[in-house]
Amino acid sequence: MSPNPGVPTPPFQSRRTRWLTRSIGITAAVATAFTVWLGLWVTPPDQTQGNLVRLVYIHPGVAWVALYLAFGLAAVASLLYLWPRTRSLVWDRLAAAAVEVGVVFNVCTLISGSIWGKPTWGVWWAWDARLTSTAVLLVLFLGYLALRRVPAEPEVRAKRSAFVALFAAVDIPIVHFSVLWWRTLHQGATVLNANLSPTIHGSMAWTLLLGFVALTLVFVWMLLVRYRIGVLEDWLGTGELDVALRERQAEGGAAGEEEAA
Amino acid sequence: MGYVVAGYVIVLTILFLYGLQLVWRRRRLNRAVARVVEATPAAPRPGPPGTDR
Repeated sequence: MSPNPGVPTPPFQSRRTRWLTRSIGITAAVATAFTVWLGLWVTPPDQTQGNLVRLVYIHPGVAWVALYLAFGLAAVASLLYLWPRTRSLVWDRLAAAAVEVGVVFNVCTLISGSIWGKPTWGVWWAWDARLTSTAVLLVLFLGYLALRRVPAEPEVRAKRSAFVALFAAVDIPIVHFSVLWWRTLHQGATVLNANLSPTIHGSMAWTLLLGFVALTLVFVWMLLVRYRIGVLEDWLGTGELDVALRERQAEGGAAGEEEAA
Repeated sequence: MGYVVAGYVIVLTILFLYGLQLVWRRRRLNRAVARVVEATPAAPRPGPPGTDR
């Protein structure tokens, strides 16, 4: 029974769900390790970029997860929440989980891109359309996460968060088409180009593909765990700070009993 | 090659630490739920989340 009367009892997490989450986690870890092995030791250096091409096996992967999977999912879930027929806090929880994971991947995108940019362009950062729009996206979704921490009723929080997510999602196509709409330092699309014909070949293409799969699995695992955290928080009807305070109180109580004994 | 290694190490470390933090948060909340259920007087009720049916 939930201590928060406003929140219905969440469904049990079956053994199968836990097994599935764990399996995805293990598969993601193995696939990531395999990508690193292929990327750093097996694939050849590029004719133009040399060894720097090895960063390409992870940079587009983390960008794909952040921009399209995480923030795209957050936008769809927010839309489903706002749509009266599909309104459910499940969508709000899913959007919140996707945004939090997406922000982590967005940070990884900017860092890996910056590390690639320094030896290639000679600078860590350039106010280029692709880079700037990606940084703006990060700031917008950080704002989303900050807004969620403002105390409010779950429905009120869900509604305003959904509006902010949809507003922030407007930047996703801007990031994607920025390399076409403006003259940028950033190269054009290698895989998701207009002809849908990847301009990368052989072991490099397979390693890049594996990187996409591995990082997608990492995202799915993180999303499942983060969603579960949202379910537990809602069930308890408290924020993490309250949980921490309860833990401290319980520890203090146990210590006091020991002293008295 | 230094930039490449740095890129891999930083990205993978961020993802690993975030994943670790998620597991830790989930475990802490599971413990909090278990404590609430223990403290609740026995009554016909469904069990806590995170346990088998």
